[in-house]
Amino acid sequence: MPSRRYNQKIDHDQGIPLADDYFLDEPELAILEDKMPSPETTVKGITQMAFKKKKRVIDSDVLIIGAGISGMQSALDVADKGYKVVIIDKTSTIGGSMVKLDKTFPTNDCSICTAAPKMVELARHPNIELITYAELNKLEGKKGDFTAQIWKKTKYVDPDKCTGCDDCTAVCPVDVISSFNEKISTRKAIYIEFPQAVPIVYTIDHEHCTGCGACDRVCEPGAITFLEKSEEIEVKAGAIVIATGFEVFEPSELRKEYGYGKYENVMTAMQFERLLSSFGPTAGKVLRPSDLNKPKKIGWIQCVGSRSEQEGYPYCSRVCCMYATKEASIVKEANPGININIYYMDIRAYGKDFQQYYDHAKDLGVKYIRGRPSNVYENKDKSLTIRYRDTLSGKVKEDKVDLLVLSTAIIPAKDNKKIAKILGIEVDENGFFKQDSLLQNPVQSTKPGIFLAGCIQGPKDIPDSVSMASGAAAKAVAPVKDRKRHVGRDFPPEKDVSLEEPRIGVFICHCGKNIASYLDVEKVTEEVKKRPNVVYAEHVMFACSEDTCKKIRDTIKDQKLNRIIVAACSPRTHGGLFQDTLLESGLNKYLFEMANIRNHCSWVHSDDWDKATDKAINLVNAAVAKVRLLEPLSEEEFSIIPSVLVIGGGVSGMKAALALADMGVKSYLIEKEKELGGRLKHLHSMFPSDIKAKDIIDPLIKQVTKNRLITVMTESELVDIDGFIGNYEGIIKHKSKKRKIEFGTIIVSTGFREIDLEGRYHYGKNKNIISQTELEEKIKEGTLKKKPKNVVIVNCAGAMDEKRPYCCRIGCGVAIKNAKLISERYPGVKIWLLYRDMRVFGKEEEEYYSNVLKNHHVTVVRYPGDKKPEIKLDKKDPKEGPMTVKVYDDILNEELVLDADLVVLTVNTEGEVLTNTLKNMLKIPADAGGFFLEAHAKIRPLDFATDGIYLCGAAHYPKNLVDSIAQAEGAASRAAIPIMQEKMKGEGQVAEVNDDLCSGCQTCEGICPYSAIEVKPRQDKPDHLVATVNRALCKGCGACAAACPSGAIEQKGFKNKQIRVMVDALLGKEN
Amino acid sequence: MKMLYFPGCTLKTSAKNLEKTAFAIMEKLGHEMVEMDDWTCCGVVSSLSDDDLMRHLAPLRSLIHVEDQGEDKVLTLCDMCCNTLKQTNLRVKEKADDLETLNAFMDQENDYKGTVTVYHFLEFLRDEVGFKTLKKMVKNPLRGMKIMPYYGCMMLRPREVAIDDAEDPQILSDLLKVLGADIVDNPFNIECCGSYHTVEHKEIVSNRAHRITNFALERGADAIVLSCPLCRFNIDVRGKEAEKLHRGYKQIPVYYYTQLIAIALGLDPTVCGFEQHAVDPNLLLKKKGVYRK
Amino acid sequence: MARKQLPKNKEISKIVFKKGELVKEVEDICGENLFGCYQCGTCSAGCPYVDDMDLTPDEVIRYVVLDRQEVLSSKTIWLCSACFTCAERCPRDINITKIMEALRQIILRRKIDHSYAQKTSKKEREAIPQIAFVSLFRKNIG
Repeated sequence: MPSRRYNQKIDHDQGIPLADDYFLDEPELAILEDKMPSPETTVKGITQMAFKKKKRVIDSDVLIIGAGISGMQSALDVADKGYKVVIIDKTSTIGGSMVKLDKTFPTNDCSICTAAPKMVELARHPNIELITYAELNKLEGKKGDFTAQIWKKTKYVDPDKCTGCDDCTAVCPVDVISSFNEKISTRKAIYIEFPQAVPIVYTIDHEHCTGCGACDRVCEPGAITFLEKSEEIEVKAGAIVIATGFEVFEPSELRKEYGYGKYENVMTAMQFERLLSSFGPTAGKVLRPSDLNKPKKIGWIQCVGSRSEQEGYPYCSRVCCMYATKEASIVKEANPGININIYYMDIRAYGKDFQQYYDHAKDLGVKYIRGRPSNVYENKDKSLTIRYRDTLSGKVKEDKVDLLVLSTAIIPAKDNKKIAKILGIEVDENGFFKQDSLLQNPVQSTKPGIFLAGCIQGPKDIPDSVSMASGAAAKAVAPVKDRKRHVGRDFPPEKDVSLEEPRIGVFICHCGKNIASYLDVEKVTEEVKKRPNVVYAEHVMFACSEDTCKKIRDTIKDQKLNRIIVAACSPRTHGGLFQDTLLESGLNKYLFEMANIRNHCSWVHSDDWDKATDKAINLVNAAVAKVRLLEPLSEEEFSIIPSVLVIGGGVSGMKAALALADMGVKSYLIEKEKELGGRLKHLHSMFPSDIKAKDIIDPLIKQVTKNRLITVMTESELVDIDGFIGNYEGIIKHKSKKRKIEFGTIIVSTGFREIDLEGRYHYGKNKNIISQTELEEKIKEGTLKKKPKNVVIVNCAGAMDEKRPYCCRIGCGVAIKNAKLISERYPGVKIWLLYRDMRVFGKEEEEYYSNVLKNHHVTVVRYPGDKKPEIKLDKKDPKEGPMTVKVYDDILNEELVLDADLVVLTVNTEGEVLTNTLKNMLKIPADAGGFFLEAHAKIRPLDFATDGIYLCGAAHYPKNLVDSIAQAEGAASRAAIPIMQEKMKGEGQVAEVNDDLCSGCQTCEGICPYSAIEVKPRQDKPDHLVATVNRALCKGCGACAAACPSGAIEQKGFKNKQIRVMVDALLGKEN
Repeated sequence: MKMLYFPGCTLKTSAKNLEKTAFAIMEKLGHEMVEMDDWTCCGVVSSLSDDDLMRHLAPLRSLIHVEDQGEDKVLTLCDMCCNTLKQTNLRVKEKADDLETLNAFMDQENDYKGTVTVYHFLEFLRDEVGFKTLKKMVKNPLRGMKIMPYYGCMMLRPREVAIDDAEDPQILSDLLKVLGADIVDNPFNIECCGSYHTVEHKEIVSNRAHRITNFALERGADAIVLSCPLCRFNIDVRGKEAEKLHRGYKQIPVYYYTQLIAIALGLDPTVCGFEQHAVDPNLLLKKKGVYRK
Repeated sequence: MARKQLPKNKEISKIVFKKGELVKEVEDICGENLFGCYQCGTCSAGCPYVDDMDLTPDEVIRYVVLDRQEVLSSKTIWLCSACFTCAERCPRDINITKIMEALRQIILRRKIDHSYAQKTSKKEREAIPQIAFVSLFRKNIG
């Protein structure tokens, strides 16, 4: 190892202070060469070097601060439109909080598995510059012209050299408490946060590094750079998205009665996520910290730090009910023997499929106990006793659990105030970032050009964060919309090698010691050289390093290679990198194959050198066999019609159209009613700010109708549609006239309606029994003639029952708002609110609820789901006379009989009347409630699985205004991507139908998840039906090829023949 | 330092030993504790009604007398007095209107200017003397004694007048550690001892004493240390009576913290007035060999 | 389940409230808003006397909200010793301790005495600390 110029005492920014013995550790070389530096000259030299280094200035369009799921989504949405993005994160990796979670509700998808592809996509995106371990120092300028100073902390590791081999952590002697693992384990002073971190570059923690130099000595690529300085980078941007996320309440100062920090077996839910995680400290095993034994009983306490007017935060943390339900379900599914109690006040299962998820957890045996524990104490065996009142049985009880999880609140990050000060924007009284207007402009901060995404504005689940992040992207693009766009990367023209004999080059990777220490890479190289058509084979230290990629390019040129194999790791993470190398050399990127000899050989057979080597040889041989048969594939390029069809002219549709127009994108906004406005037209005011619906709707309608880029078509319906992403042709019917329009993408924003109660609750029989919407209309129009004295509001009418198992999400909020409205209109009125769980989860909602109860003396009665309130009509005057409402008070365990002269039903909701027509016409799925189904419940909430069609507002699920608008703007962002790319390329590895073999049985048509297959008459033989693949929509999943009973469909890149030769090669058969 | 001292009724009757040990400690520490003139009943229970200012008169009058004597600090030994004085002091400092009404009502007295700070004796030891100073003066460390600190209510609640964290107080354990004792933690040590129910509901109080003590007993405690004279009576006397209600239960001795400080500092044990206790505190001290020959 | 039976007291059942409603009088005396209560049960679970009470503290609040006058006859309000544990832990920041006092005050201000200290034996009277008696009188006599 070469002698380097080290010195003991150097400032932080000058480098890591090294231990004395390190300096003397390699004195031989230094003394021999007589190059022992004196400390003074070294420091001087370094300081001079520092001054010489020129400050980096990056010209970008949008700067994004925070690279969690929200920041990543915003970045991708902006970058996909062709604008340049700089995204920074203060930690050494991107991914944020989502990657800490084990699974996500309500689908139980693996969290890292859904986040990791986004992380890789972000890191590889040509329009995105990623700066990790960096913070915002300063911001100047205004919307359209910001200049930010970014402080990029040095990682003391050269990112170009570090390969992520992990050798350094094995030798690092320092243990540091891991914040990624929520303080329940340690990491080293040189570390990556988690195995899938992006970028996979290690970081030296300056605070804890002792400067022993052990990592440097073992680092083969020589990536450790103790003298690397932190630097300030200047970033110019037209808009800024802030997505710095949240922190989790730690009950060590407040709420000490639960014993966190005092008792070993009390942990936060975030810590529990790390226990559940496969890459957490227990590798996914649920063990209690005190003795690492499996607990027999676990308890969750809800609302720790939230819903607390003292000793915490007043708001609802929104996600805790569901994450606790998720954690409990996961434990229960894997260990049915573990008893689980969840102590709650209201279960807020408000979202799509949440109620069903909660019901499922109960079926699994998770016990929900309504009661907020008073205190917790530790027993001699380190188990914990929880004291609580089961408010439904009325008993004060003590439960003993082996492990106690506290469902602690999402709280604003401590840094928020500092960041807000730098940005010149405001925070609210809790410390979250403030919106310009909660109900009208939820993604806009208090300063033009700066937008908010994710939990920085208040607690939020992943899909709501992702939607908002897309919304922020749409808004951030507006100020820079006229700047030059650049989509994709430029590569030299492709050489036609289709007629050439295969000339294969194979590159076998050592992956440092990762592969080379466990199998014989030289032997693999020698063996593969013997295979036919292999003209070049070499083993390299790190195939993914920049110098190896250059070597691959040079070798392609020198050796006239036309097929490349890299034997290294997973194509999932590294395939794209090598394909780019092929493209840079003018080769078709599908003439490439990877053999995964790390994950499949060295990792799993680390104890058997010979067998690992044999298997590697076999895998590489199989790749050789296949690659010989590979054909260059083309990606179909098609142009995009630059306008969007927005179906539904409610708030969501209008906001989407406006967001599109702000980005310079034209749209058609069609509405079936006479006027724009949707449901808000019927409403009086909005929850939770009491703003008049009219004050929202009227200016919006004005803006929309005035906008030149929006073509409004009222009393219109889509009656026919043809085409696919980028190229749609639709027939719009207006009264009796039909008009043909063309558009590139579609946004569905058709909204929702109240369900038909079919006479339940005597609805329709007495004119004083009305729905919430009717109440608002009556109040608005002044048609509620008689002054009511006793009003009974019944929540969950037609909800969460057998027929409709779902929660309507907005009913509780509407009921509270209307209770206040009635009370203000009719002073002295007595109002009863009958509810099942009070689900006021959004920003400012819990506070609003609490204030209405206090200021208007609304009496709430909790009733059980199996004892629905019963209304008794007057015998003499059933149509208009007074009524009584019989309700079982769950808390008192008593039946109450209430007098009522007005009963207001909070009626459940369903998808709008258009759902069925659109479902069939656009081939998009909807659930039993008539709500459309998004592509992925967590990370693709605004997309349909079919490309080119997007979703927003209550058509997805009932939503309050804040969420609807954020979603609408998000959908606009999604729908604008293809349009702003102008052209699109389809997948190369698509399905291909052999018309002669196809019998037109339609099996494939039904099975295709992307609606890419249509069975239609064959062009040359119109009486024969044949499957046709739309290359623009096909994703190459292969489902059709596997299902085809006649073997008529082949999957390009995975043709039967190509697979067969691989199998033969693996079995040692020559071909 | 000279410190004005507000005794209150109980310190002059059933808790004379608490007062006596406090005086002895102060002397040993080189401070002067002076009983204030013209003190009256503290009012005992701070007013819990918003609309009733009458109940603040008694404590306020004593605060005025502190000002009259030219002092801005007053020391209390009884938890109840301390709490009541502190609550009234806080109320009149926060609500100027209330102070004005009260001052106007007491036309025979000077107006209260709001300059007084009320100290609990423990607070004084922690913040003014410093436990570190005490540690240096320990002659008879309480080695081998496993003690459960008991706080009760009045030192800790309401939070606004608490002398330590309301859910996880440390002041007594910190003190006892300094004196050389082992601490037995007890989550019930912040629960009510039974308070005035000792007059009319003896059994309820005995059960409280049993619940509080038993948890510590199971964890090996051999003594309880506390501060409030009413808590002392309830846990010591009613606890002893609990022996009849709970089979096999044996009440352990109860000490005022001042008594243990006195012992640890090597003062004459007779100052402690142990004869006022139901369970003899001397036996344990002898057994553990705390008294030096 | 049927409504809980509480001891009947003629004097108490005759009380007429100042603003017509029990809850309003309670709120006037203690300055707390009872409608903010979510019935979470924290106060009851932490109450040291809950085992001896006929109504738990959260039930007391519910009764007052429902304007049930019989709450004034419950043992609970006299068992509360004002230890403030409920008030400290209440997530709604409702001072239940003060509500209990207000309920006692409603009775005491109508000169309905609630103390039986005179039954205490002389021996006991000499042993029990004075503060116990004074506290008792302040709580149960007024």
